[in-house]
Amino acid sequence: MKINQKIFLQLGISFIFFGLIGILINNLTINLIRTGLGFNFSWLFKPASFALAEYPLPYTSSDSYAWALFIGWLNSLKVVISSLILATLLGTLIGFARTGKNSLLRLISAGYITIIRQTPLLLQLMFWYFVGFLGLKDNMFIQIKNIFNISNQGIEFSGLTFSSEFLALLLGLSIFTSAYIAEVIRGGILSVSQGQWEAFRSLGLAERKGLIRIILPQALPAIIPGLTSQYLNLAKNSTLAIAVGYSDIYAINDTIINQTGRAIECFIILLVSFLLLNLLITNTMEIINKLILKSRKYS
Amino acid sequence: MFKININPIIISYKKLRKTLFSNLFNTIISLLIIVLISVTCVNTFEWLIFKADWKVVISNLPLYAFGSFPPNEQWRPATWIISLLSLSIFTLYGPKWRWLRKNLLILWIGTIPLGLFLLYGGVGLSPIMSRYWGGLTLTILLTVCSSFLSLPFGIILALCRQSSLPLIQRLSSIYIDAMRAIPLIAVLFFGQLLIPLFLPVGIEIDRVWRAIFAFTLFVSAYIAEDIRGGLQSIPNTQIEAANSLGLNQYQIIQFVLIPQALRIALPALTNQSIGLFQNTSLMAILGLVELLGVGRSILANPEFIGQYIEVYVWLACVYWMVCTIMAVLARHLEQRMTINQTNF
Repeated sequence: MKINQKIFLQLGISFIFFGLIGILINNLTINLIRTGLGFNFSWLFKPASFALAEYPLPYTSSDSYAWALFIGWLNSLKVVISSLILATLLGTLIGFARTGKNSLLRLISAGYITIIRQTPLLLQLMFWYFVGFLGLKDNMFIQIKNIFNISNQGIEFSGLTFSSEFLALLLGLSIFTSAYIAEVIRGGILSVSQGQWEAFRSLGLAERKGLIRIILPQALPAIIPGLTSQYLNLAKNSTLAIAVGYSDIYAINDTIINQTGRAIECFIILLVSFLLLNLLITNTMEIINKLILKSRKYS
Repeated sequence: MFKININPIIISYKKLRKTLFSNLFNTIISLLIIVLISVTCVNTFEWLIFKADWKVVISNLPLYAFGSFPPNEQWRPATWIISLLSLSIFTLYGPKWRWLRKNLLILWIGTIPLGLFLLYGGVGLSPIMSRYWGGLTLTILLTVCSSFLSLPFGIILALCRQSSLPLIQRLSSIYIDAMRAIPLIAVLFFGQLLIPLFLPVGIEIDRVWRAIFAFTLFVSAYIAEDIRGGLQSIPNTQIEAANSLGLNQYQIIQFVLIPQALRIALPALTNQSIGLFQNTSLMAILGLVELLGVGRSILANPEFIGQYIEVYVWLACVYWMVCTIMAVLARHLEQRMTINQTNF
C-alpha cells in the first residue's frame, strides 16, 4: 500500500471509531441525566451504612464507601494470595504424581485433573460452600482442646478464625487452579531431557531428591510463564466470591450499585482495582523469574 | 487343548510389581491409594443407591432441560437438542460418504438458525419470549451462539493486531489486553447492567442477547490471541510464495494465512469453546435461569430444601458429559484436519 492510502485508511477508521464512541457517550449522558444520577465520585466519601462480615482492618458501617471498597480489595488480596500458595503446593504434588513412576498415582491424578477441569468452577465453589461447610453441624464439629475447631461457622485455630465463606472460596479456587498448575508442572518436567534423569540416577541420587534438586530447577524457566497466567486466572476467578457470600471487591461493588445505582463509576473502580491486582501479580512473578535466571547463571 | 498361556500374566505381574511395589515408600503409597479408592467407591455406591434421594432430580428433569418453557411446547427445544446430539453421533460414527462429509459444516452452522427458530417461534409456531428459555437449552444456546459469533471477531482482531498500520494495531492490542485482564463476571455485568445505559432511549436488547454479546466481547479477545499464535507460526516464505504467484493482500489473507492459522490454533480454539460452555454458568449469578440457575431455583424450593449434594452431583455429571462430547468432537475434527494435511 502507498503511504497516502495508509494515512487515509487510518483516518477513516479513527473517524468511524471515535464517532461511534462519541455516540455511545452521548447516549450515556442522556441516560444518566434522565435517571438523575450524573457522573461523579463525591459519593465515595459518604458513609457506606452496610456491614461487612469480614474486615482485615477496622471497619464499621459508618465508614465511607471508599474505605469499604479498600477493605474489599484487601479481602480479595487475602483470598488470592492464600489460594495461590495452596494451589501451587497442591498442583506441584499432583504434577509430580502425574509424571511419577507409580501407575496408580498417575491414574488417580489424571482422574482428578479431568474431573476438576470438566466441571464449572462456580458449581465447585457452591459445592464446597453449601455441602462442605454449611453441611456441617451447628455446634463444634471437630474440637481439639479449644485450639482447633471446625463448625459450619468456619475454622478456629488458636485464636485465628477463618469464616466458612473464606474457606469454601479458598478450597474451591485452590483445587480448581491446582488441576491447571499440575498440567503446567507436568509440561515443565517433560521439557527437561531424559538424559538428565539418567545422569542423576547414575550418580546414585535418590529419585525424589533428583527430582527436586536436578529436574525442577531446570524445568522452572518453562514453568514460570504458565504459572503466571494461572495466577492471573485465579485472581480473575476470585470474583466468583459473590456466589458464596464472601465480601471481595466485586461483591462490595455489587452491593454499592444496588444501594446507590452508580453502575458506571463502580465499574470503573472495579477495572482499576483489577489492574492493580494484575500488576501486583505480574511484577512479583517477573522478579521471581529474574531471580531464578540469575541463580542459574552464577551457579 | 486347555493350555493356558501364562506368560502375559507373569509379565504384567512383574510390571505391576516394578511400578507399584518397587520400594518401601512406593508400596506404602500404593497400599494407601488402594484402600482409599476402595473405601471411596464403596461409600459412593452406597450413597448413590441407598442414601441419595433422586426425586429432586427425576421429578424436575424437564426443568433442567428446558427451564420454564411452556410444557406443551417443550417438544421444540427437545427437537433441537436431539438434532444436535444426533448430528454429533453422525459426525463421529456415521458413514463416510464424501458428498455428505463435505457439507457437514453447513449442517452444523444450520443448527443455529434452526434452534433460534424453534425457540422463538414465528411462522407456524406460537412465539415464545426469551425470558421463558432456560435450563440446558439456554446453556447450549449461549455457548453455540457466542462461539459462532466470536470466531470472526477474533480473526479480525488477530489480523488487526498483526497489521502494519500503527493506529489499528495499537487499538486492537489495547482491546485484547484490557479484555484479558478483567474477570469475565465484570464483562457479563457490563452486558446486563451497563449496555442499556449506552443505548439510545427506547431501544432495548433482551437479556439473552446481551449475555451473548458480552460473551462474544470476552471470548473474541482470547480467540484473537490463539489465532495470532497460529499466524505467527506461519513461515514468511508462504507469504513470499503467494506474492510471487500474484495474489493480492486480501487473497493472501483469505487463502493462505487464515486456513493455516485456524488449523494450527484449532486445539486452543476448541478449548476456548469448552471453557465458554462452563463459563455460561456465571449467568446464574446475573439472573439468567440456565442449567446452574435451574439448580439454584430448585434448591430454593422448600420441597427440596437441603438436597444440595444430589443436585450438584447431577449438575456436575451433566456438565461433565457435555464437555466430554465436545472434547471428543474436537479430537475428531483435529484428526480430520491432520489427515487432510497429509493428503495435500
